[in-house]
Amino acid sequence: MELKEQKTENCMIISIHGRLDTTNYSILEKKLMELIEQHEDKILIDCADMDYVSSSGLRILLMALKRITLAKGKFALCSLQENIREIFEISGFTNIFDIHLNREDALKVF
Amino acid sequence: MAQYIHFKDPNSEEMIRLLERIPRSPGTCFFMDINRSTDMKYQGGLKDWGRKLNNTFNNLLFANHFQHNVVKGIGDEVMLFIPDEELRKKKSNNTYFALLEDIYASLFLIGHHPDPDLFLNCKVAIHYCTEVYHITFFEGANDYYGSDIDLTARLMTKCIENRIVLSEGFYIKAKNDLISLGLPLETGCMERVSDRFIENFKGVPESTSFRVIDIL
Repeated sequence: MELKEQKTENCMIISIHGRLDTTNYSILEKKLMELIEQHEDKILIDCADMDYVSSSGLRILLMALKRITLAKGKFALCSLQENIREIFEISGFTNIFDIHLNREDALKVF
Repeated sequence: MAQYIHFKDPNSEEMIRLLERIPRSPGTCFFMDINRSTDMKYQGGLKDWGRKLNNTFNNLLFANHFQHNVVKGIGDEVMLFIPDEELRKKKSNNTYFALLEDIYASLFLIGHHPDPDLFLNCKVAIHYCTEVYHITFFEGANDYYGSDIDLTARLMTKCIENRIVLSEGFYIKAKNDLISLGLPLETGCMERVSDRFIENFKGVPESTSFRVIDIL
């Protein structure tokens, strides 16, 4: 799994490439917690190239959502592949996360 | 598929010869139980408890690709068995630590979901089994038998809602994974593992060591 960062005028975009699972979720956790501590509380997670997410990965996303919501920031996701969307659905995440079809649509909410 | 054991003659020598040849099938056994689901059946209809059982089992099993490892369900409790040879073939969740971490994450996701009406909290017992055989006494059924399967069931008696009970044997396996991966021993949920408890379980000749992780 590889993370790519891109700072825009209104938010920080984190793109996840590859599989987000128990072997690497701590990399995402560290990155998100660093950003939150730096008061970077407008974050978009681009999942276009994320092939798989395990429960461990979902846990980090839920923790980030809770922290950013508490800080009155904005946390959104975009471009979920079909298999990822299914995992989000099973986990009851589609109703609690702000999920957009593509990056262009997502950037409009920041 | 499990080896079917079925002989009409109770003194069959052929049966003895077959049983002597059956190899052990080492692996990880899980018992997972959904809390309060019995109460719910008296309080609401199928559309309520059926929906929550569906959601919870999906979240526990399907999100982690364990659905093919369900051996049996008894009421709201399920038994899973993941043989070592199968674990090693998995693309992810292919270490004991990964199994533990993902089960912990699943229980965490259920316990922390903002909508309390979707899922039910769970409890899980995990044991690394060596004394286990892939056999069945019922045609067409898949099953595992052995003293270590029985011990996993005994560990369930130490479980409460939002708790994972893990045998010392499984804990050591998960710890060794972290050492092999070059990761700190406090990685992920291992940081939350309790000190060791020792208990004498009914029918088990030796004391059993286990630890717990409470989902906070």
